[in-house]
Amino acid sequence: MAAIVITFGPAEKKMSLNNHLLLAILTFPILISLILPLLRGKWAGYVGGIAALTAGLAFLMSLALIPALCRGGFIAFSRPWIPSLGIGFALRVDWLGLLFLLNLTGVTTLSLVYAWGYMRHRENLAAFYALMLAFMYGMAGAVLAADMLLFYIFWEVMLLGSCALIALWGDGPRAQSVALKYFIFTHIGSLLLLMSILCLFTRTGESDIYALRALLGEVDVGLLKVLFLLLTIGFGVKMAIFPLHTWLPDAHSIAPMPVTVMLAAAMLSMGLYGMMRFLPAFPAPVMEFFSLPLLVAGVLSQFYGGMMALAEKEAKRIIAYSSVSQMGYALFGMATLAELGMRGSVLHIVNHGIVKALLFLCVGVVMHATGRRLVAQLGGLAGRMPLTALCCGVGALAIAGAPPFCGFHSEWMIFAGGFATPHTLLAVLATIAPALTAGYALWFVARVFFGPSPQSLSVKDDTPRSMLAPMVLLSILALAAGLYPAPLYALAERAIASLGMGG
Amino acid sequence: MKPMVMLPLAILLAGAYGVFLIARLLQGGQRRAADSQITDLELMAQHHQVIALLTTGVGLLAGVWLVPLWRAAIGSGPLAWGSAGPFGVRLRADPLGLFMAALAVGLGSLVTLYSARYMSRDGGLEYYYPLLLLMMGGMVGIALAADLFNLYLFCELMSISSYALVAFRKERGLPVEAGFKYLVMGGVGSAMVLLGISLVYRATGQLDLVAIEAASNPIAWLSVPFFIVGFGIKAALVPLHTWLPDAHGEAPSGISAMLSGVVIQSGFYALLRVLLALGFPGEKFGLLLVAFALLGMTVGNLMALVQTKLKRMLAYSSVAQVGYILLGLGMGMHFGAVSAVLGGLFHLLTHAAMKGLSFLCAGVIAFETGLMELEEMEGVGYALPLVGAAFGLAVLGLAGLPPLAGFMSKWLIFKGGMETRSPLGYVCNAMLLANSLLSLGYYLPALGVLFSRSNPRQRQELSRWLAAPILVLAALVLILGLYPRPGLALALPAQAFVFEMLR
Repeated sequence: MAAIVITFGPAEKKMSLNNHLLLAILTFPILISLILPLLRGKWAGYVGGIAALTAGLAFLMSLALIPALCRGGFIAFSRPWIPSLGIGFALRVDWLGLLFLLNLTGVTTLSLVYAWGYMRHRENLAAFYALMLAFMYGMAGAVLAADMLLFYIFWEVMLLGSCALIALWGDGPRAQSVALKYFIFTHIGSLLLLMSILCLFTRTGESDIYALRALLGEVDVGLLKVLFLLLTIGFGVKMAIFPLHTWLPDAHSIAPMPVTVMLAAAMLSMGLYGMMRFLPAFPAPVMEFFSLPLLVAGVLSQFYGGMMALAEKEAKRIIAYSSVSQMGYALFGMATLAELGMRGSVLHIVNHGIVKALLFLCVGVVMHATGRRLVAQLGGLAGRMPLTALCCGVGALAIAGAPPFCGFHSEWMIFAGGFATPHTLLAVLATIAPALTAGYALWFVARVFFGPSPQSLSVKDDTPRSMLAPMVLLSILALAAGLYPAPLYALAERAIASLGMGG
Repeated sequence: MKPMVMLPLAILLAGAYGVFLIARLLQGGQRRAADSQITDLELMAQHHQVIALLTTGVGLLAGVWLVPLWRAAIGSGPLAWGSAGPFGVRLRADPLGLFMAALAVGLGSLVTLYSARYMSRDGGLEYYYPLLLLMMGGMVGIALAADLFNLYLFCELMSISSYALVAFRKERGLPVEAGFKYLVMGGVGSAMVLLGISLVYRATGQLDLVAIEAASNPIAWLSVPFFIVGFGIKAALVPLHTWLPDAHGEAPSGISAMLSGVVIQSGFYALLRVLLALGFPGEKFGLLLVAFALLGMTVGNLMALVQTKLKRMLAYSSVAQVGYILLGLGMGMHFGAVSAVLGGLFHLLTHAAMKGLSFLCAGVIAFETGLMELEEMEGVGYALPLVGAAFGLAVLGLAGLPPLAGFMSKWLIFKGGMETRSPLGYVCNAMLLANSLLSLGYYLPALGVLFSRSNPRQRQELSRWLAAPILVLAALVLILGLYPRPGLALALPAQAFVFEMLR
């Protein structure tokens, strides 16, 4: 017993608290999601509140990791899991992981609060909230995992959770076929991931993602290029990069709104997280080889998404295609391989999370109040729903990159990164894309909230506050992050610094 | 003191007669006491649960006796037991055989428990439970047989009792037809095996498996095609699988679970033991298995895609799943890839749990709602939420999705394929992934039908007798996926033993 007392000195104890915090961020939501479906009677009415509290607590626990990260390095938790195969239950978080963790737990919390009102007339809510939590801890686990197999497991939990949510609570009779399409598409991407993960594992004998960097120098460059391509495609499907995006508009428009918010504002970013986590481990020549194709893919997504958003008639699909375009920005920023561009890319994830959640929440409020989703059947709502109109306007300006809203900061960094590459033409093209964004976003606001109102349009005034509050909070955030961006700049800088790519 | 190798077998066989006698006694006593109006069925129903529990007890007792055998076999090598003379009963307990025996006894005990309610509307139960015990005894006998004579004997015991069990609902036409088809094909298989055994005896003058290996007479290889066809029919290797969909589809669901989960695998196990004992080179044998595997996976999955009856779909999926097992063992023996053999053996275990679970769920659906056709089952998942959820776990696990058991075994096979570093291994891996994807093409729509919202059904109460085995297997599928160490602890010594036999 004496030996144990000695090993847990004061300094050790502090470390172990943080390490267990890491575990708690995962296990607490898992436990709650298992308990929720078992609640009966009076308690069954509180499932939504419990779920939102759980997600909120996960967000707070992620925030609580900051002081320890400020002291330097990373926080890790590790236990033997399948020792006979050299695989551990290893969790690890650095600044990059923290940024994504904050993004996804925050978005989940707000969409769960939003769901209280939006989903209140639906059935099997306990299962709904449990699956929402499963969706969240799938994402959180993928961010926290340090072991490749663990990463893949959580990656698929995320897919299973989101797919079940679309299939079981999606709008309209097409829900199941859309869910099937979503599943098959993204699962193919996952299988490509699995292939490259296992190839990396068998070639290097190491299943720790963070240790790959040192070992990949010895692997044949030709094979590495193949693996890089597989990983990029695998993550690109999740990120909905053109031409791998085809699942996105259907899934985003059929999913119930809280799920759409999570898909768009949190899950798409997971694709970028995967790229940021795996790809810098490859030797510089391999990365440089793929820089140009990825830049081109980024620009193509920007323009394709923007043009499709202009052409779409349905409110949800317009915002959905805007995600394809925005993920193009993020990919472009990463593919520049320039420090500034990559910082802009991760900063854009946070900003896109805020703005895209905001826009979808606004669309949800409009759909709730009018029961319509076609833009042509809407109009002149500003008088009836001034608050929603204001928030939606903020969202549209922010996504177009207009200062003083948050989108501006990440976009200029991404473009600056683009001009640091030799491909000036692509950088110019990328810089033009926000004009397209401004076009569809502002036109959308104009068509929905201004102009003549159709005769038959009736507006219900019973939108619950739990749906309005997240919307208002997000528009305040979008403005605040634009006016005082220093904390986010610092976070993005440290996130990229923790990749250790300098040199 | 050495534990007795024959005890588990003796318990099962004696238990079969004991259960039959007790059932008859109870029935007779009741008949004298009761009013003469009462029918056999009603008489039986009163004692049904007692008899079922008794049978489960016999199975568990045999299972408990396997534990000291396992410990001893791991500790000090295979244990032998036998009576003298050329036709005495000779048994040998090694890790591989005990692994198979444990599977048979474990799944069998759960099925007897399940039958307590599931078979409560059938007559003739004084035959059902003893037959089930004889079938389990046959499988344990195959697993422990030390010579060809006993191998054949127990193989017949297993086969004949399963013919009877498939045709158990003899008042209906289809089960009898299926049982007869199974009987005819299985009988041909047995004849082939007998012919093969006679050839081996002619060539080597030996029946003991170890002695045959020592004699290593290449003339004995003439028997190889006979064994492949004979045991291949029992193992339902494509193209010898045609009896399987009928038998698995028409048998009582508990029996379908046994057939799919352990009986066909016992046929394959017998083939493996005999061919390796003949000194058939592992490299060629492996290649042969790979060929059967690729054919089986593809044919099984394609045929499952077009089925309209749930149980027939599951039956064809077994053809495909046995393909994965063969692929693992085949690649492992051909290339010496350790992970592949481990994965194949682990898949034996996980497949028994997952396929057993899915058949038990299909049985509950048929029992509670009377539905057999898949498209009529709309919304059953809401009527029987536990069954729906467990079925979901089972089929998603069969498709190899994490965090379920099937993923753990399949990625090991996949890793083995990567370890081969040969084009054939990569082709096999590509086929494995393509087939997993293909199988989602029928698993997901089946789940979709169960949870379809088009036909709202009232929630139904589920008998505890049916819920208990389903809960156990569902927990197993989840736990082996999250924490595979206990399962790997069983499979690892068996895998080591396979490589020992190859040397």
